[in-house]
Amino acid sequence: MKSKLIIAIAAMGIAVLFSSCAKVPQAEVDAATAAIQEVKDAGADLYVPEAYQALVDSMKSANEKIEVAKAKWFPNYKPAKALLTVVSQMAVDTKAKSEARKVELKAEVEAMIVEVKALVAENTELIKKAPKGKEGREALEAIKSDLAVAETTVTEVEALLANGDLIGSNDKIKAAKEKATSIKAELEEAIAKKGGK
Amino acid sequence: MVFIKKKFKWIIVILLSVTLITITTSVIIVSQKELPTNDLRIAREAITEAKEAEANLYAEKLYKESVQLYDSAMVNWTKENNRFILFRNYTRVINFAKKSKKVADVAKEESIEKADNLSKNVEAAFVSLTKKIDLYKKLFKNLPLSKSIYDAHNKSKKFLSESKIAHESGKLKDAEVLFKKADIYINHANTAASKMLRDYFNSYPRWKSLANDAIAASKNGSKVILVDKVAHVLYVYQSGKVIRSYDVEFGPNWMAHKEHAGDKATPEGNYHISKKKDGGNTTYHKAMLIDYPNAEDRARFAQKKKQGLISRRTGIGNLIEIHGNGGRGFDWTSGCVGMRDRDIDDLYRIVTTGTRVTIVGSIESLTTITGGVDF
Repeated sequence: MKSKLIIAIAAMGIAVLFSSCAKVPQAEVDAATAAIQEVKDAGADLYVPEAYQALVDSMKSANEKIEVAKAKWFPNYKPAKALLTVVSQMAVDTKAKSEARKVELKAEVEAMIVEVKALVAENTELIKKAPKGKEGREALEAIKSDLAVAETTVTEVEALLANGDLIGSNDKIKAAKEKATSIKAELEEAIAKKGGK
Repeated sequence: MVFIKKKFKWIIVILLSVTLITITTSVIIVSQKELPTNDLRIAREAITEAKEAEANLYAEKLYKESVQLYDSAMVNWTKENNRFILFRNYTRVINFAKKSKKVADVAKEESIEKADNLSKNVEAAFVSLTKKIDLYKKLFKNLPLSKSIYDAHNKSKKFLSESKIAHESGKLKDAEVLFKKADIYINHANTAASKMLRDYFNSYPRWKSLANDAIAASKNGSKVILVDKVAHVLYVYQSGKVIRSYDVEFGPNWMAHKEHAGDKATPEGNYHISKKKDGGNTTYHKAMLIDYPNAEDRARFAQKKKQGLISRRTGIGNLIEIHGNGGRGFDWTSGCVGMRDRDIDDLYRIVTTGTRVTIVGSIESLTTITGGVDF
């Protein structure tokens, strides 16, 4: 009886030695992978690229930790599991950052649209006061043409914004704002010179 | 029975000893094996650095290769880990990881170099584009250009401006795409406008001859009006010298010889003041009617009508005047010569009915007007 018990214990010991003590944290891996995909779908790679890159790197590091554990006689997935938990939390934070950036960017673009529209209206009024004459006429034609460009850009930006292209609309409206501001300065200078004569 | 029991005990002891020795040996063998952990970490960090250097944009092929090599290393690592522990071999994994790091490093260097070159190219393109836009401003912007040319010029300015913003934000690829668009539009605008200008100046020898005749005709002391359409200036010559000059405006289609009623063009040729109008006789402050159409205009009109180039119902037009209400800053008349009221007052005072009026496209040659600029 005693011998049988010894045999059984020995057999169990061998079985335990040759099989892994722990399993790959597949549920955590799947959850983290899904969370990263969700973050990407939310546009985080565009709106918060650095945070997104850090997230991807952490996931890669977690996968490496899993393989490190698997390579051992007695796999210990605790470090990988801990990192995967961090990755999942990071994904939540990154998504929130991305959403916040989108809201912020949308507000910036909308504010700039208002600014550019105001500048265009202001410039249209300034054109009426600007000196004409031969040189003035030529300059005014150029200014009107530039102002038309700024106006067209505002329309394009509104369409881009409606389609959710925040980055594209931000770049375009910045260009339009710069143009409208320089036109205003040019007109004010011309009017000031006229007044000085 | 006792013997069998003893023998069995010995077998168990031997078995346990063999197992222990096997395990110890295996543990020693496995612990001696080099794991690819460090190489993969280094490769991953190299890829991150390459991405930070925007290798995914400027050295896309190499960057992708480095990522693929890293992924291959990971796949092989998993594959090896699925094998029995004693049979695992990480050499391929390590090789993939090392290669991935090497390629990522090259991608990073290539990206930095390409981005630098691209930045320089974009800056050079800005200079070249600005010159083209300036050329348009200098030579073409006052011409009665078609809407498509005007729009193309405006689009080129818009894209250039957006390209500059992209460049400032470090989005060099976007800047490149945008300046290429700007270049296409400005080339279209400048090519079409320069063709229009060159075609118009095909008549320059005739204009030169008309202008020389007009100036010669003034040498006897009589006053002669010479209108330069391109310069938008009306000169009064007397004794071969300019005694007055005024800025003038025309119709929106001024860069053409008047051929028929309603074409908004100003005629080119020799005419005379046929009537002076002021007070209630004109709505344009003061006006001087010229004798358009002259014989040459009539002959040309008849020929074009015969050729079917002008419809049967269209008339040759008349009532071309030099009149006031001008100084508006653009070409607004229906083909007349518009002047500021104070200028027409002056002109009205010094010229009489019968005064010769010569209207030409330009007194100066195209080379002189463009200042020798190559376009």
